[in-house]
Amino acid sequence: MEQQQLRKLEATCIQEESPQCSAACPIHIDVRAFMACLAGKDWRGARRVLDRTMPFADIVGRICDEPCRQACKRSEIGDPLAVHRLERFCVTTQPMVLRSPRLPAKGGSVAVIGSGLAAMTAALDLARKGRTAVMLTSDEQIGGSLRQYAEEMLPAQVLAVGVETLYSYGVILHFGCSLNQEFLATVRQDHDAVFLDRDCRGLATLAVDCTQPDPVTLAIGLDGCFAGGGSTANGFSVMKQVEDGRRAALSIERYLQKVSLTAQREREGVCPTRLFTQIAGIPPLSEVLPADPAAGYTAREAVAEAARCIQCECMECVKQCAFLQEFNDYPKRLVRKIYNNEAIVQGTRTANKMINSCMLCGQCTVICPHDFPLNTVCRTTRANMVASATMPPSAHEFALQDMEFSLGTFAALARHQPGRDSSRLLFFPGCQLAGSAPQTVEQTYLHLTRHLDGGVGLMLGCCGIPAHWSGRQELFHRTMQTLVAEVGRLGDPLIVTACSSCYTVFKEFAPQLTVQSLWQLLDKMELPANAAAPPQPMAIHDPCTVRHEPQIRASVRNIIKKIGISTEEHPYAGELTDCCGYGGLMQFANVPLGEKAARAKARRSECDGLAYCAMCRDNMAATGRRVAHLLDYLFPAASRQDPLLRPNPGFSGRHENRARLKQHLLTTLWQEEPPMNPAHKEIKLVIAPQLMELLDKRHILEDDIRKVIGQAEQSGRRLVDPENGHFLASYRPVRVTYWVEYQPGRQGFIVHNAYSHRMILPGEAK
Amino acid sequence: MSTFSFISETAWRCASCNKELHPRKVNVEYMGSVFNVELMVCPVCGFVLIPENLALGKMLEVEQLLEDK
Repeated sequence: MEQQQLRKLEATCIQEESPQCSAACPIHIDVRAFMACLAGKDWRGARRVLDRTMPFADIVGRICDEPCRQACKRSEIGDPLAVHRLERFCVTTQPMVLRSPRLPAKGGSVAVIGSGLAAMTAALDLARKGRTAVMLTSDEQIGGSLRQYAEEMLPAQVLAVGVETLYSYGVILHFGCSLNQEFLATVRQDHDAVFLDRDCRGLATLAVDCTQPDPVTLAIGLDGCFAGGGSTANGFSVMKQVEDGRRAALSIERYLQKVSLTAQREREGVCPTRLFTQIAGIPPLSEVLPADPAAGYTAREAVAEAARCIQCECMECVKQCAFLQEFNDYPKRLVRKIYNNEAIVQGTRTANKMINSCMLCGQCTVICPHDFPLNTVCRTTRANMVASATMPPSAHEFALQDMEFSLGTFAALARHQPGRDSSRLLFFPGCQLAGSAPQTVEQTYLHLTRHLDGGVGLMLGCCGIPAHWSGRQELFHRTMQTLVAEVGRLGDPLIVTACSSCYTVFKEFAPQLTVQSLWQLLDKMELPANAAAPPQPMAIHDPCTVRHEPQIRASVRNIIKKIGISTEEHPYAGELTDCCGYGGLMQFANVPLGEKAARAKARRSECDGLAYCAMCRDNMAATGRRVAHLLDYLFPAASRQDPLLRPNPGFSGRHENRARLKQHLLTTLWQEEPPMNPAHKEIKLVIAPQLMELLDKRHILEDDIRKVIGQAEQSGRRLVDPENGHFLASYRPVRVTYWVEYQPGRQGFIVHNAYSHRMILPGEAK
Repeated sequence: MSTFSFISETAWRCASCNKELHPRKVNVEYMGSVFNVELMVCPVCGFVLIPENLALGKMLEVEQLLEDK
């Protein structure tokens, strides 16, 4: 990833944008953090938030005119936060916590004419930066217009503390100055820069136009002179005084440093923010009013009011995605981690697991107000990892071997309809449906051949999406080329896919193929007469690959309606649907997270589930959810087994099902001899269901176990436990060493345990 | 090269040699890194035992670390 691309991506994620309140505050006080502290009774923390940004917090906190209140998201559903009352509560009950340091003196003398809040702020900010600040005022006290506040609002004593603060930072104060035309000339001679606070009596006598300072720099016509503060057409705003004082101090600092006065000042003062915060579902609580308005909030009242803050943030994608929740981060931070991971030459690439755990399903992109393309980033990164040989071998190997099996001699098949030599259509059920429900594939195929003219061919195989997801570009393209050639050999019929992943892959990567979804085809056909609807309402679980296929989703719903299944929609269907954990091969690269994702999808509805993707069906069934595949109802099994109770076949079961399906169809439909099984296939195994589940999680196939036992029985190389007569043997067919604990039994070899490792032992092939 | 020891008493015996397993230092390898480790081995034929807890514990940890290097 190029740095420029990183910046662009980072800017797309808005989670770190300012909340509305801070953006509307001229000095960007972290109101959200302030509220969080108060709600948690962290009085010192709340005061620290103010001290960090607010000059003279004891003064400003008492009289702040809270421009943030209007911007508060709560105002969209009711009363905005009473920010000023809370600030007042804070500064009247909690003394200063954080005193900003004063930087070492660095020369440069600045005159500040006037003593209003803008002048005070400018003088304080400049003094903190190590500049000599000299305050010159015709008044006898500081404060300007602030002195007009009633004593109970702003006690004189508190204003006096402001004077102390200025002195403590080394500000020199001259009261009772007589302002006249010569005064400004002298001041300009004695100082390097001048700030004129318009909230100052007698400023007009200086004969300088301060009415229209530059809005960004506050510079006026005279070199080195800046002006701000005072009343505007909108009246006197306390925060406007603070803003102008701070803005002028920054301009003067830049002026003294002889750098640009204007560069990169867009974020100063009130600024827009792109932060999105979902307020739907937030209860519109009323503002907490103080029992005694004159005394202000009690601690209890302050906590209650601050607790109304909804702590604005986006996190919309994270709220829905099991992957983002697991890594506890939002796309902006993840993409930075991905960038850093790619940049590592020597050292541990700690983000590998994360990159390989994304389901690539695109749910976050749909949810994101700015369409953050996290799936594209993760998939492209995987391809880069493969290209640079930094992809962990264990992440996708098992899934790719599964794909190889589906494309191999024992599972793959491509034939015209029996008795025909051409095909108008070609049914492509997909590897997972063949693995999950082979009898349904057969029934569906027979239905299509009976009701459609022109010949319906059959192709068992895999579209290659595991290679695509795992970043194996070359393998993916090779797979696709072979498939396209095979379809060409059958006369380029219209491909009918039962699996939406296959459908989207063909559409995106093989535009020369014509493709239709089985669901759209069935929607226009006569449905099987024996289609059986369950009596209870069901929840449709759309697969993630139809997120952008509204027509397929509509066809599915039509079919469901036609066969009389009543449904209850839930919000995370359609465009927002979740992935079951198979997407992006997440369940292979991160087994426990795959289970979490399946569970999250399963939990979206209390009703029994109805899926139309074999992997969604099986993965949710594995979590214990009652879930059926739509084809289970369209083509009921002869056994009358309840489709909701059909167990997850697991990886071994899917292999077996694919091989049996090919065998069965070849013999029954085409009267052909099926391929011969290798010798180890003859080994019969007895495996308890719990162990089978464990083996599935460990990515150990029954076939691997057969190879281990076959090899051990033949060579005699194995360990024995004399107490129970169990054998322990190991075998490394390719890149994984499998260990099997077993014993011979009457029904076959009883398997007690199996595990594997990738480390190569002495004598094993590399 | 330092040697890590993973030896522990075991009931497993070599079936073909009919011998108890004994600790022995052997080299195991992954992703081009070689480790000298002490494991339980048949003194006659050299059959190396990798128990389940080692395969799924320390060994897996090291494998994943090497894969991320």
